[in-house]
Amino acid sequence: MPDWAEPVIRYILEVGLPATLRVSAIAVVGSTAIGIVLGTLLTVHSTLLRAPIRAYLEVFRGLPILVTVFMVYFGLPAINSSLEFGPLTATAIALILWGSAQVAEATRGAVQSIPREQHEAAAALGFGWVGRHRSVILPQALRRLLPPLVNLLVNIIQNSTLAAVIGGIELLQAGKSQSERLTFYPPAGIGEIHAFEIFAFIALVFFLISFPLTRLAAYLEKRLV
Amino acid sequence: MPTALLRLSMDLVAAYDLWAFVSENWRELLDALLNTLKVSLIAIAGAFAIGLVLGAARAHRIPVVSQVTAVYVEIIRNTPILVQIFMLFFALPQVGIRLDAFTTAWLSVMLWGGAFNSENFRAGFEAVPERYREAGLALGFGRFATFLNVTLPIGGRISLPSSINTYISVVKNTSLMYVIGYPELTTTAINIANLTLETLEALTVLGIVYLTLVWGLSASIRLVESRLALPEER
Repeated sequence: MPDWAEPVIRYILEVGLPATLRVSAIAVVGSTAIGIVLGTLLTVHSTLLRAPIRAYLEVFRGLPILVTVFMVYFGLPAINSSLEFGPLTATAIALILWGSAQVAEATRGAVQSIPREQHEAAAALGFGWVGRHRSVILPQALRRLLPPLVNLLVNIIQNSTLAAVIGGIELLQAGKSQSERLTFYPPAGIGEIHAFEIFAFIALVFFLISFPLTRLAAYLEKRLV
Repeated sequence: MPTALLRLSMDLVAAYDLWAFVSENWRELLDALLNTLKVSLIAIAGAFAIGLVLGAARAHRIPVVSQVTAVYVEIIRNTPILVQIFMLFFALPQVGIRLDAFTTAWLSVMLWGGAFNSENFRAGFEAVPERYREAGLALGFGRFATFLNVTLPIGGRISLPSSINTYISVVKNTSLMYVIGYPELTTTAINIANLTLETLEALTVLGIVYLTLVWGLSASIRLVESRLALPEER
């Protein structure tokens, strides 16, 4: 391995990778929590309740995620200066807006796939709406929800690279800044271009994370459906 | 404090002028929209061709092409498209391949869409019952003629909704060309906002235009689905 590679790899794996994983973890947890609640509410019979949720879904599923990132990062501070977030936080928020819409749509389908006898049996046992969904319906719907949730995890990890566009230091931005540094003359850099090796390495890191997860999602889809 | 916040927001609402923003910048925005559409159309046409050929090769297990396609699909699916764009635009010049922003724009989303589309078409072709193909062969069609007359018309329709979804993602992904400075819609709107500080107006325009494009395309799925539905499902 050439001399320049070691500090570059260390920076990418010690600074970039943890940031990517942190943003992704927050985004997945937030998307799942909000998405399951919204998706369950979408099965309620009240149009008044469903309409705003439907609108939220269609808007954030329809917008390119980068535009949502810009809305959070540039738009919110323009509305009110107290709504200013760092690039990584802004990306996490945008990913939650997009991801929760994805989860909500999947949850609606999963909840509606549970036979109505389950609802009736739970109601007969004295469960209210919340208890019925929490203890009877959602645990069963979760099985069907598992493959889309693994796919969501893959998509969120990959889309966390959008933070690089607004300067957040995650995997991709860490690689980009290192490849730029190497082009400087010593002592900062070595005056050489190594963009190809560095971006190929970034791609490899993403591949090693994503590939097992996409296999897992495909396996779950076969097993559970 | 809440009253101060409220006043700030009120000032903002007073300064917000979408109409002025559009009427002052409509030429640039229109050019940008045309660039977005140009890149999208080239990429969609390319992704259609790639998906059709490679999807057919995969469904028919044609040796070598099938395996190479599988590798191509896995690489595209398991790496972020932004990394792919960086590879094309920032890394390839190191090995002597220089692509301009326009070429990078359509090529990157075409390669991305082509990979997803070859999976869509593969699934569609594989969903055509084996006995249909056997019937085609029994009627004296060759393998290629059977594909053209039996597998393609039926499997193509089965894969239509999922491939239109891929085209919708292609259109959305053209917004990523912001990172290479290609003057499509997102780049142009954000650049104008940076000059004029009309951030909210620019974001509103972006939102309206993208949602119109995306919702229009998804409405077309329903239209096409009902028009092209297989007779037995009608």
